[in-house]
Amino acid sequence: MLNIVKTAEEGKVTYSLEGRLDTNTSEELETDLTETIQEAEELIMDFEKLDYISSAGLRILLAAYKAMVKKGGMKVVHVNSTIMEIFDVTGFSDILTIE
Amino acid sequence: MSDDIFTIELKGRIDSGNSHEVEESIMNQLSGYTGKSVILDAEDLEYISSAGLRVLLRIKKTYPDLQIVNVRSEVYEILEMTGFTEIMTVKKAYRVVSVEGCEVIGQGANGTIYRIDKDNVVKVYNNADALEDIQHEREVARLALVLGIPTAISYDVVRVGDSYGSVFELLNARSFTKILVNEPEKMDWCVEEYVKMLRKIHDTVVPEGKLPDMRQTVIGWAEFMKDYLEPADGEKLLSLVKAIPHDNHMIHGDYHTKNLELQNDEVLLIDMDTLAVGHPIFELASIYNAYIGFSEYDHEVIKKFQGFDFETGKKFWHKVLSAYLDTKSETKIKEVEDKARIVGYTRIIRRSIRRGGLENEKSRAEIELWKKNLVELLHKTDTLNFELNELEIEADIDKLQEVLSFIEEHLSKTDCSPKAEMQISLAAEEIFVNIASYAYNPNKGKAWLRIEVSDEPVTVTLTFTDQGMQYDPLARQDPDVTLPAEAREIGGLGIFLAKQTMDDVIYEYKDGKNILQLKKNL
Repeated sequence: MLNIVKTAEEGKVTYSLEGRLDTNTSEELETDLTETIQEAEELIMDFEKLDYISSAGLRILLAAYKAMVKKGGMKVVHVNSTIMEIFDVTGFSDILTIE
Repeated sequence: MSDDIFTIELKGRIDSGNSHEVEESIMNQLSGYTGKSVILDAEDLEYISSAGLRVLLRIKKTYPDLQIVNVRSEVYEILEMTGFTEIMTVKKAYRVVSVEGCEVIGQGANGTIYRIDKDNVVKVYNNADALEDIQHEREVARLALVLGIPTAISYDVVRVGDSYGSVFELLNARSFTKILVNEPEKMDWCVEEYVKMLRKIHDTVVPEGKLPDMRQTVIGWAEFMKDYLEPADGEKLLSLVKAIPHDNHMIHGDYHTKNLELQNDEVLLIDMDTLAVGHPIFELASIYNAYIGFSEYDHEVIKKFQGFDFETGKKFWHKVLSAYLDTKSETKIKEVEDKARIVGYTRIIRRSIRRGGLENEKSRAEIELWKKNLVELLHKTDTLNFELNELEIEADIDKLQEVLSFIEEHLSKTDCSPKAEMQISLAAEEIFVNIASYAYNPNKGKAWLRIEVSDEPVTVTLTFTDQGMQYDPLARQDPDVTLPAEAREIGGLGIFLAKQTMDDVIYEYKDGKNILQLKKNL
């Protein structure tokens, strides 16, 4: 239900997510991210193909964001309007760097 | 000729040409007879005109108990048309039909159906004194037909050996059992047609008092079972059955694929004598028995009865239940199946015991298995009622996907936009995860979800119920969404999101239950 494609280029790691980032699928991403964060300089979350996010997904984003702030930061790109609304009501659109 | 009954044979034609003669002859024969019971044997009577009928009336004046028996159908028609069948006892002569070597095309609770020629079938009743049963079946079949259920109505009653049979026209028909046996690739089509007819039956409202109430019958079975169960289990069974809501919709009572016929392109229901009114769980119970219950101990039973194997029957039942409940949710299917099994086992245990099942080893082992399953189910069941829009599910995060699929299934039947669907799904996820994580912690428990869609304005309402510790999620303070990232806590967003994406959220604690209702206007 969540397809994770990870590409790395000189410390810049991009996660392209496809499907749903919810209670069921967030664990897999979280495990992967925890490792990546230790080495990555910069993090890009590509949401182009992501349809759905719940609070479980938001928690991971927030944790990753906090971890990356001291380094090259984290960007979320290609966010669709439905997910953008969720970022808006939760204040995440003010916190995260969204492009 | 016995002492108190006087029998006279009528022959040939009685019309204005000979009616005087016939009357005189009858009166002569009766002179000296002091009894009141006169029987006219009309076996050889070919025709009777109104002059002849007047003779009958005059005889009846002197002998009020006059009966005319062995009446051929041509003569019977005259008597029926003129109203004579209502003023005196007229008994038809029954055609004799042999079923030797005929193909058995159906088998019901009360009889067996044979094909006697290309266009006709006869249902032979198990009970030798079956005229009342035949009358009953005719009446209920007529009632069903009038209420819109396609069925065959018998047009003649015949003698078959020592028993009676009723004859139906059934052209070129094949039973669904036959189709399943010979063309297994058509199973999905059979399921579809079978369920379509089942829905039609269950959607039919029957006028009060026209058909027996199945609930009363099943209460009787449950009372019988009290002698064979632990007192607490017997009580539980009885109270579960008694709590099934009254229902005035039709149920067939013996709805299996031998009783569904395909005639040309029309699907016909036959074997109507078990027709009743009641909750669909009673019907599902008998369907469960037909495909699984009876064969659960000895898988060969279904082969003898239906001609296909146990696995095929099981598959058919599962597909039927899924289609009938209009859901792919295994939890929902299992919930209703378990309820059906309670009624189903009750029926077959009683049936087997009454047929001496406790006296032979195999049946005893069979009864033991059914009873073990019944008791197990009784311990975990609170109601035999079920609603299509309700899901009873373990409050466990592993079940989240099923909860979401259930909601999606229901929303797919509405004009819900993808965005609204996503928002409803989001709210459901947050609430269910919350219940699964905290309500029974560290123990396990159940959650209930009900989904309702109402018109004007189109609104979707989700109601989550659990019996865990009292907790009002709305009482919790909303997170401050204006705080910077460093000050934000990881967590606390779920309920807030549910509140934000839905239009109305109400919490109530009632009868030991947390009830959370979430509304979304579409």
